[in-house]
Amino acid sequence: MRATELVRLALSRLGSSRLRAALTMLGVIIGVASVVSLVAVGQGATSGITKQLQGLGTNLLTVNPGRATTGFTRGAAGSVTTLTVQDAEAIGGLTGVAAVEPETSTSQLVVAGSQNTTTTIVGTTGGYTTVRNFSLWQGATLNGVAVDAALREAVLGATTADDLGLSASAIGTTIKIGSVPFQVVGILQAKGSTGPLSQDDQILVPYTTVEDHFVPGDTVRSIGISVASADQIDLVKAEITTLLESRHGIPVGGTDDFTIADQSQLLSTVGSVSALLTVLLAGIASISLLVGGIGIMNIMLVSVRERTREIGIRKAIGARGRDILAQFLVEALVLSLLGGLVGIVLGVALSALIGALAGWGFVFNPITPLIAVLFSLAVGIVFGVWPARQAARLDPIVALRYE
Amino acid sequence: MSEPLIQLQGVSRIYDLGRVQVAALQEVDLTVEPGEFLAIVGPSGSGKSTLMNIVGCLDRPTAGTYTLAGTPVAELNDDGLARLRSRTIGFVFQSYNLLPRTSALENVATPLLYQGLSRKDRLARARAALERLGLGDRVDHVPTELSGGQQQRVAIARALVTEPALLLADEPTGNLDSASGADVMTILRELNAAGRTIVMITHDSDVASSARRQVHVRDGRLVA
Repeated sequence: MRATELVRLALSRLGSSRLRAALTMLGVIIGVASVVSLVAVGQGATSGITKQLQGLGTNLLTVNPGRATTGFTRGAAGSVTTLTVQDAEAIGGLTGVAAVEPETSTSQLVVAGSQNTTTTIVGTTGGYTTVRNFSLWQGATLNGVAVDAALREAVLGATTADDLGLSASAIGTTIKIGSVPFQVVGILQAKGSTGPLSQDDQILVPYTTVEDHFVPGDTVRSIGISVASADQIDLVKAEITTLLESRHGIPVGGTDDFTIADQSQLLSTVGSVSALLTVLLAGIASISLLVGGIGIMNIMLVSVRERTREIGIRKAIGARGRDILAQFLVEALVLSLLGGLVGIVLGVALSALIGALAGWGFVFNPITPLIAVLFSLAVGIVFGVWPARQAARLDPIVALRYE
Repeated sequence: MSEPLIQLQGVSRIYDLGRVQVAALQEVDLTVEPGEFLAIVGPSGSGKSTLMNIVGCLDRPTAGTYTLAGTPVAELNDDGLARLRSRTIGFVFQSYNLLPRTSALENVATPLLYQGLSRKDRLARARAALERLGLGDRVDHVPTELSGGQQQRVAIARALVTEPALLLADEPTGNLDSASGADVMTILRELNAAGRTIVMITHDSDVASSARRQVHVRDGRLVA
């Protein structure tokens, strides 16, 4: 029998019991929809996180103080404070470095009129906005004069400005940081990240001013470096290592008292974690597809029993075993494939909805539906073969007498 | 006359029920020439259904030889039997055995599906067969919308649509009232008069009297 005949036969049969067909398909629909949407969620989350990381700065290197090692005891990261403003200035002279900025930090109560908030005060230079990939919303960033003269000037993060009830008109007004008056010179554009690691909740002031009013000494929390181009990252890392080792008097082969964090390392770590997550989600979702397949097998077995007489009639009027096998197999395939198609539509809609709600947008990967269709076809074959064989093996005499 | 259509020689059918063996048919010899109208008559349990299954190629004899239209049946596998049924035999059953929820037209066209005809040819021939049996206005009706007599006529149309050498009828009037039953017998006689070979199984001697020849089955053996 030709395939079109078999499909026509299956469709007319399923059409005569629509509710049962729909309920049987539901298992596959849910399975495929959850595979498609969960994989899309995994991929969407990955690309969302990647975008956020890239927003931290382009070609960013961060030099952090290393660990103190006293005897056999290893201290926490940052337990030595060996990085200085002078280190940052020296790094600024290296080839391949586009911008550099030292960062010191302190947490202070900030008051603007009747509003107040406690936030991070970052002592840095005008290079901060370049290295950390910020753009200004209003006003100007810190300039060289402000840093050199330790002026009390402040650039507010978007969230901080919001918390203090400050908008564009606040440029030039005075706020108090830890009871010291500062002039607001600029407000940063929001990056959109939220949570405890938000980069929008902070105030930038000259590091010299922090040194004068809050934290004495010229040690820094970290040094941010923007490398001129991506292919120079490894070169610049090597340059910084050599420079700082010689400045800190560390012998070749000794333990460095600093670490250099590379954006690409972070990206690849996040990438592999979220790939694992995606596989895990898909694995969980495919269990429901398996259950859906068992549902099809169950219904097909019931159907073979109910239609025993029909099978007997068909055999008596000339159907061979393989004609009956093909008829029941195609029925299972049509069920699973229709279910798969509906499931894909549902899954794509669901992942678009989740993407819109979560804010990473809609990531459509055509491979996923393709795999889902193949998977549901496989489900149809695997779970359809056994009932179909049962049907094909029926003895026509017994089947005809079956009530 | 040419070679016989049906030739059974020493055919036995023994059911092996483990400890006991039941002989439903023993040493049956039967020859049917083309164009005959034969009634196989016997009470229930006589073995006539077993005989009909063997003649209809639904079952194989455990001993003896059966040749249908020149084909030795014992040598065929299940697919071969199916092909022989498809080409050579048209079945009419006591309980009509139409496919449920399927229109008369599709029912009659189904045997042609298994012969590999195109859908267009199938439907055209099925329609012609239904019209020959006076059911031209019932082609789209499903079995539950038809009377018993009409259903049996659809079944006869289905049996004839492949133009089989043999029409095998198993108690064709068993489920019908006497008027419809007489109707069906008239149709069978007309078909035989037009040259169709018919073998009919029945327990009813009145019905059997319509046939041109009768054989009787008792306890698995042919008598008289």
